[in-house]
Amino acid sequence: MTDVKSGATPLVIKNVKKTYVSKNGPPVQAVKGVSFEVQPGEIFGLLGPNGAGKTSLISIITGLEKATEGDVEVFGLSVTKNSHLTKKKIGIVPQEMVASGFFNLEELLVYHSGYYGIKSNMPKIQSLLERLKLKEHSHKMMRQLSGGMRRRMMIAKALVHSPKVLVLDEPTAGVDVELRNQLWEFVRQLQQEGVSIVLTTHYLQEAEELCDRVGIINKGELKYVGPTKDIIRDLTTKKVEVKLRSGDPVTFTMAKDQDLGRSLQEHKILVDQIQDMKITEGSLEDAFIKVLHV
Amino acid sequence: MTAFWFLFRKECHRFMKVMVQTVVTPLISATLYLLIFGVSLGNQVDMGSAKYLAFLVPGLMMMGLMNNAFQNSASSLVSSKFTGDIEDLGTVPLTRSQIIWAFSLAAVVRGSVVAVMTLIAGEAFYYFQFQEFLAIEHPLWLLYFILVAGLVFGQMGMMTAFWAKTFDQLTAISTFVILPLTYLGGVFLSIHSLPEFWQKASLLNPLFYFINGLRYSVLGSADVDVTQSAGLALLALVVTYVMAIKLLSKVTFTRW
Repeated sequence: MTDVKSGATPLVIKNVKKTYVSKNGPPVQAVKGVSFEVQPGEIFGLLGPNGAGKTSLISIITGLEKATEGDVEVFGLSVTKNSHLTKKKIGIVPQEMVASGFFNLEELLVYHSGYYGIKSNMPKIQSLLERLKLKEHSHKMMRQLSGGMRRRMMIAKALVHSPKVLVLDEPTAGVDVELRNQLWEFVRQLQQEGVSIVLTTHYLQEAEELCDRVGIINKGELKYVGPTKDIIRDLTTKKVEVKLRSGDPVTFTMAKDQDLGRSLQEHKILVDQIQDMKITEGSLEDAFIKVLHV
Repeated sequence: MTAFWFLFRKECHRFMKVMVQTVVTPLISATLYLLIFGVSLGNQVDMGSAKYLAFLVPGLMMMGLMNNAFQNSASSLVSSKFTGDIEDLGTVPLTRSQIIWAFSLAAVVRGSVVAVMTLIAGEAFYYFQFQEFLAIEHPLWLLYFILVAGLVFGQMGMMTAFWAKTFDQLTAISTFVILPLTYLGGVFLSIHSLPEFWQKASLLNPLFYFINGLRYSVLGSADVDVTQSAGLALLALVVTYVMAIKLLSKVTFTRW
């Protein structure tokens, strides 16, 4: 039996295309030849506006849908040819917080473990419930939980089989600041444990805080892939606000790596004339907007 | 194998959590049928030396079995499509055949529970009326027909749930296809009591052979030969299994 290839890259997306055929209209090409890789212990952010193709791509990675063309490899194995093995390596936290309404949290996690071939998983289940602060709610149904608890439960469900690749589809959508920080901390812990993480988010601050690299997808095409720091450096500018002794304000932007003295010279500002100065660094949001409008 | 076992267990556990709806309600229906048709009206049905109540019990057992096996798979999958947790089936390492067997065997369990409860209720009525118990003439045939019918209707329930886009479509199959075929399949009357045309038409009804087979298992006699019923029941199982496998290779496990 083929098992995952040792030393292989956790996740490789190879020229994936996805076209949806509709009875009532023309075919819709949701993903148009996307390629990228996710390395061991890396957090990769997949960013894009609504309808960009993020969820379609995630559905293909997790085996929920098949690519029209191209392939996805998990530790060197194709998700279409070896889905039985690749699914064991992937955990998914879907955007929507759904679970059977018949079972309590503990029962759900026991059955979910069983689907991955794990007969007795109580220590892991208890540990996850403890880490995600759900232990005292383990005998409650999903519908009895708050939104934040449901989100944590979805994470517990995704981790019950100790996956090496975790896909988080907008994990902090609609959660409060405290929970968001807790979830970020938890994601960082998983990264330290060697889990490779694919994170889709609308919150660019989240991607900036967490992601080692980002991919920006729009209208099914991957517009940019690279380290988060690089994209901010390459595609953003610094905003310089100068207050002169005369009382006049002067505002200008400069490239990230541009010399400040030279910029002041270009704007004919002498150091002696400056009363106050504020420099604002560019953010991933600026870069994101720039990429989308190229 | 573990994955299959856990899905099977979960499906059985699910219907046991709503026992009133899944077991008690069909038992009450069967009891009312026994009381009204078997006891009250049954005395007026001329069946020669045979007793109508004895004729009715296996018919009601099979009717309960088929309906509940169908509903078990169908309602579980449709409620998963509604809540969205059907996506789990697409992302976990379960094969198509594991999913089909787990759902259809759980359907057999629920169908069997209803059939056995109906038999117990039937025995009670029979004893009350005739001061003796209704003997099971061929227990192995009984097990065979319970197993095969449960599997067939469990798979039909699955296919209907995957096909249905709304609750209405699911109800339509149950009401306009399964129910009429069940009633016309000889649950309440022998097809020999029908006009010749309808006798021939009944032979085209696949559900007739399941009912006929179970009736033979209990009474030792039926409208058509038991091997013919058994063979056609097995054929129905092969056909529904092939159809279910093909359907599952096409569907996506996505919510409504």
